[in-house]
Amino acid sequence: MKIEALAIASVNTIFKALLSLNTVYVLTGLVLLVFAALNFKDRSNKHRNGTALFWFILGLIFILGSVLPHWATGLLVLLMVVIDGVGRVGHKRTDEVTKSGQVEQKVRSLGNQIFLVVLTIPFVTFAFAIAFRLLGLNTNDGAIVGLGFSGIVAIAVGLALTRGTLSEAFQEGRRLNDAMGAVNILPPLLASLGIIFTASKIGDLIAAGIHKIIPGQNLFLLIIANCLGMALFTMVMGNSFAAFPVIAAGVLVPLIVKPFGVNPALVAIITLTAGSTGTLMTPMAANFNIVPTALLDMRDQYGVIKYQAPFALTILAFHVIVMWLLIRMF
Amino acid sequence: MVELFKLSGIAIVIIGLAFRLRTTLVVVTAGLVTGLIAGLPLFSGEGIFQGLPLITKPGQEGIINMLGRAFADNRLMILFIITLPAIGLAERYGLQEQAASLVRRMKAATVGRLLVVYQLFRILMGILGIRLSGHPAFVRPLVFPMSLGAAEATARAKTVESLPAAEVEQIKAANSASENYGNFYGQNLSPVLPGILLVYGVMKGLGYTVNLWSLVLFAIPIVVISVILGAIQFWLLDLKERRRLAAKH
Repeated sequence: MKIEALAIASVNTIFKALLSLNTVYVLTGLVLLVFAALNFKDRSNKHRNGTALFWFILGLIFILGSVLPHWATGLLVLLMVVIDGVGRVGHKRTDEVTKSGQVEQKVRSLGNQIFLVVLTIPFVTFAFAIAFRLLGLNTNDGAIVGLGFSGIVAIAVGLALTRGTLSEAFQEGRRLNDAMGAVNILPPLLASLGIIFTASKIGDLIAAGIHKIIPGQNLFLLIIANCLGMALFTMVMGNSFAAFPVIAAGVLVPLIVKPFGVNPALVAIITLTAGSTGTLMTPMAANFNIVPTALLDMRDQYGVIKYQAPFALTILAFHVIVMWLLIRMF
Repeated sequence: MVELFKLSGIAIVIIGLAFRLRTTLVVVTAGLVTGLIAGLPLFSGEGIFQGLPLITKPGQEGIINMLGRAFADNRLMILFIITLPAIGLAERYGLQEQAASLVRRMKAATVGRLLVVYQLFRILMGILGIRLSGHPAFVRPLVFPMSLGAAEATARAKTVESLPAAEVEQIKAANSASENYGNFYGQNLSPVLPGILLVYGVMKGLGYTVNLWSLVLFAIPIVVISVILGAIQFWLLDLKERRRLAAKH
């Protein structure tokens, strides 16, 4: 009996260790190392060394991030930023999917089945979250671990369906990764900026400034300041992801979440989309607002922004109302 | 006054991005400058850095340490990298073409209705966690020609040239708007896309662990409102066209 219990316990431990965030980080790191190697072998890329080194370092951070001392990780991040800063992360324009006649034939026969490959990703993510919940574990971890494993499962599903090769999968994965380039690392970099801003008490400074304009504890006015501030700051930065850490640290948390004890998930996501309304109104978000006017050969460079502005201002007002109402309800 | 200098980090970001410098470099420079002005040390005074003057201060976390800690903690925001081989494989075997053929099969009598359907299609892609480069891959080659086709049919015009130029410009703008509305708000309906993961990571850094699924849940009301407002705006586009035609006859 005792041995049996022990066996179950150790199986349990192995199971938990295998299905942990760390495993997923290591797997992602390995994928990045493959991308780095493929870039290094690609003699047609004149920045192949810098590009390969960039993805190699990111892979290393993924694999060792939990055990490296923070200062070492910090220096590695700085090194990546320098490599990108001097323009050594490049790729040749391979936006077009490489195709042979044979592949095209398969494409026709696969039809809508090809969606199964990408649908595997949310499906596995969801399944892991549910499984973690049933096992009494954290559903957040479930979703994140699930997302990691979904990538592996989706490759398997893809290979089975298309009868393609693993090398094709990694070549195409590398093509997508290179197309996004160094901006891939922006979300965690921006989160780091938010943390440094918080430690430098920038948040308190902004919060104090807003308190000078809005004295007292008027939740409704603070919600207006929060949503409007997020939209304006996004317009200036051209990117709601960049604005969010600053607004969250400077307005949302110190002025709304902390003093009023409101549901942080509720106000956080509505603050992010308030930023999206800003994105609709700014030429700084060129990919969404200016590039399309060129693609469609429009006479007015700001035609898209002008068309979107009434929508954006209306939905911004709704952000204030919805946030206020939902705070009342939850 | 010294307090206000701390805001120079924000100024660096704004100016750096306005001059289109490398975003990664701008962001990290802003962090370093802000931290130094606020009097933070470069490194924590532990391990090999113990007791080093100038670059450490007793009991304070260094800026480089913060950068490393925050970056490592927030690796989860870019976990989607592990899905790239599978998505790339699917693209090689016709994912984009198949999505395009779905768009091509959208049947709508008017431009406005077509754009409502396209916005919903974009939201569906968001729910499924599928990222598309909508403007070059879908709007320009597919939705825009389909819109023109619908407009010609409504106006019983033989060619695009017979449509008033101002109307064609409006249709172009509305096409791009439909893509943006669907993409921006729809992507928050999937916990595997970076928006939700960014909010999760930032809030965690500020001391609030929020549930990924409640983030998705609380995103729904705004998505619904975006669909309604989009539908109203596209319906007005149709209305204007009908009025123009009625005035002509």
